[in-house]
Amino acid sequence: MGPALFPAPAAGARLSGQRRWMGVGRSTHPDSYPAALAATHRALVGDEPKLLIAFAAITHDPATVLAGLRAGAPGVPIIGCSTQGEIGPEGTTDGSVTVAAIGGPGFEVSTAVATGVSGRQRAAGAEVAVCAARLGDQPHRVLLLLTDGLLRDQEAILRGAYGVLGAGIPLFGGAAADGWRMRDVFLLGGEQVHGNAVVAAAIASDAPMSVSVRHGWRPVGAPMLVTSSGDGRVYTLDDRPALDVYLDRLGAPREAYTDPAAFTEFALPHPLGVQRRDRIEARDLSTSFDLSGRSIGGGGAIAHGCLTWPMTSDTESLLAANDAACRDALDGLNGRDPIGALTFSCSALRAVLGEDGTRRESAQLSAWAGAAPFAGFHTYGEIARVRGIEGFHNHALAVLALS
Amino acid sequence: MSTMESMATPASPHIQQLVELLAVVSSYEDEAAAVQGAVERSAQALEAEVAAVILGDQVVASIGFPAGRVPAADLIDVAMRRRDWLDIPGSGPSPATTASWGGNHGHLVLARWGEGFSIEEQNLVRGMARVLELTLRMLRTLAAEHAMRQRGERQATINKQLVRELREHQRLLEHLFEIQRAISRRQPLQRILNAITMAAHELLPDDIVGLWLRVDGDPDRAELRAVVGLDAVQARKGPPVPLVDAGAAGHAMLLDQTVVIQGEGATSATGQFGDGPVYASLAAPVHLGGAVSGALLIASRRPRRLFTDSDEQTLQAFAEHVSLALTDAYTVQRMYAAFHDSLTGLSSRSLFLEQLTDRLARTDDPGRLALLFLDLDRFKEINDTLGHSVGDQLLIVTADRVRNALRGEDVAARFGGDEFAVMLSGVTGPEDAMSVADRIITLMAEPILLARQRLRVSASIGVAMDTPGSTDPADLLRRADVAMYEAKHNGRGRAELYAESMEDALGSAPRGRGGAPAKGGDGVAHPGR
Repeated sequence: MGPALFPAPAAGARLSGQRRWMGVGRSTHPDSYPAALAATHRALVGDEPKLLIAFAAITHDPATVLAGLRAGAPGVPIIGCSTQGEIGPEGTTDGSVTVAAIGGPGFEVSTAVATGVSGRQRAAGAEVAVCAARLGDQPHRVLLLLTDGLLRDQEAILRGAYGVLGAGIPLFGGAAADGWRMRDVFLLGGEQVHGNAVVAAAIASDAPMSVSVRHGWRPVGAPMLVTSSGDGRVYTLDDRPALDVYLDRLGAPREAYTDPAAFTEFALPHPLGVQRRDRIEARDLSTSFDLSGRSIGGGGAIAHGCLTWPMTSDTESLLAANDAACRDALDGLNGRDPIGALTFSCSALRAVLGEDGTRRESAQLSAWAGAAPFAGFHTYGEIARVRGIEGFHNHALAVLALS
Repeated sequence: MSTMESMATPASPHIQQLVELLAVVSSYEDEAAAVQGAVERSAQALEAEVAAVILGDQVVASIGFPAGRVPAADLIDVAMRRRDWLDIPGSGPSPATTASWGGNHGHLVLARWGEGFSIEEQNLVRGMARVLELTLRMLRTLAAEHAMRQRGERQATINKQLVRELREHQRLLEHLFEIQRAISRRQPLQRILNAITMAAHELLPDDIVGLWLRVDGDPDRAELRAVVGLDAVQARKGPPVPLVDAGAAGHAMLLDQTVVIQGEGATSATGQFGDGPVYASLAAPVHLGGAVSGALLIASRRPRRLFTDSDEQTLQAFAEHVSLALTDAYTVQRMYAAFHDSLTGLSSRSLFLEQLTDRLARTDDPGRLALLFLDLDRFKEINDTLGHSVGDQLLIVTADRVRNALRGEDVAARFGGDEFAVMLSGVTGPEDAMSVADRIITLMAEPILLARQRLRVSASIGVAMDTPGSTDPADLLRRADVAMYEAKHNGRGRAELYAESMEDALGSAPRGRGGAPAKGGDGVAHPGR
């Protein structure tokens, strides 16, 4: 006997009369429509739903997922994306549709979509940010962004949004993934399926919302100076080909110098650390290298003269950073209890943690959330801008806690 | 911040990338893009939430405020230094800083939640403002020239003047760009200082350009570190002189402001510029860490030389870049010192142990990593009889010889005193590791000319291989140490590969570092030393 087509929400889970609520539903039904419909029903635990946020495996048909979501919550704005694993209270899955819903009179939501983003990332960021202007006068706001994870220069999308919103509205989100296929992701927004797009939801609330981000990587050895870079690539470190310097410094196996798969395997647990004012940021190198040109990727924010470091970590350090991210997010609620959280974790972390580590990560998130629901996905990049004007991260966990 | 994320190297290393950002700002092609670029790049580099450019009484670009709700009056108050904080949306009152140009016409304003701006950061904001000023000036001249060209030949004379100005601005910016690149590429400081004085001289070819820097540990004196515009015979860099005798440069250093001296009094008392009189000199101070550390000077032998505003701006732009180069070099020096042995330049003990720990934790192919522990034979004797200075020289030579015996991926460190350690990765086995050790022994056996003597110094080396299942760096070090003592025991000037049997031989000796016999002074603790 197959899975039930229309499973009812868990008994006693209704939150009628709540000013703000969040619910999470998941279905592992292999067919996209019933999976989306079931997950939506489970997520709708309160009155006045305001937003559905859907995380669907790349194996699902996006248009059918959208139809299922729409059928489950007529008239409710929807945003969503494909993943490299869906995060939820029941653990991380591959192949599910996982839906977070928020609602109640204490929330107000406005959504936007920008398409054809490649080459005009900044303008796209500015376009979607405008949706925040349509919100009422609630004191707490956040802009939730889902981007196409295969786009270059994600930082420019955030810069565009920041230019419109200023420092007063935190940015939170993630870059959609496609299960390491690196071909096509999908995004859901404005009643359509998109690629090469940004979808956004501006959320206003009468209670605090808090954004945090942490990574658990540490630099190894002496720094390496970027002596040539441009267009999102690092060509030389310490005046030698960047790829070779990076591998030499870490004592990489011989095959990583010539075999793309071996390089990816080696680079996943060894991001490039980039020195910032008071911290070292981790940048993923596993998918953006050039074996013939001997250059490495790392994103648009690595300039000449930057100090960089090979980085390493272990399961305990990564999980400790997750703990810190959860703690920061809850601390930011000014003593209020969370009603739920969105948790966006890097795809590379999942690869590094392995099955056992990922299970521990899920248990850890559950422990922090307590009775509150949480949902998210494994991303191709995490978005969390709280300080400064930058907010695009790699190899990190980003958390949005709602109260 | 977690411990890992908050780990930062000393002396604000993020300053390095800021220098590069200056170069970016100077490459914009229109005024709107240049001011917006300056705003964003400076906010990015300083991790500030708010940045703005003000021209006259207009906020022409800003970031950090919601569109259409820029608090212009507050920003202008910061620019005019009537207040030193701004209300950042979502954060509240936060420290602000500003730098101005063009007789207080233009201003760059930044505000950041949390801690205030360091002196280095403020220097950089000033540098950014200066480059933005020059960029805007050039872009305006370019626009004016373009407009003139549209009006036809009637304006040929004015046009010619504009074209000349334009070329000058362009040359200045190109020079600054090259200097910024040289700084961010970490070229040697003296070469950068020479390049700055030469660039300034190229723009002011009739004048002498000199850079004075205060003497380390004797700030009341300064020395001429670079000079262009005199032939080698006339240029007398000479010994340091008191600031009061250094002419306009000395005055600029004492007053921390740009100084002009006209007339024959412009000749410095010490005559660094040869015997001929200097009729006019203009000097701008340069800074390191908020203090005046020197001055850039232009001096003229032409009796009626008058300096223009443009000359002054050019000199100040180069002086700002001297400050950036000095700050950068100082930062690199401090950072390098944190990771390297100051005498030999080899990795520090802590850096070496960190790398060894990491390598051992990641190795999935045991028997490919070797540790060499090297101790000079009879070092204490040389130190005691020929002096510490000779001892230090000997350590430097040893470090060079060890370096010469290694491949690119190997790491050598000075552990302290006369002890050195080498990590060999990717060796094929013990024989391979022993061949490297033997190469070092052979190189060390070459005589060394020190203190007018030919010294023959040998080294004893212990070699240990990593073993399956052991990721403890202390254990590997201990085994290499035990093997090194075995080498001493077996006659010095040789290498020994660790074997378990060596432990028995050392069993009764007092234990020191890593389980090997205690050293207790050179040649004391162990019969073989």
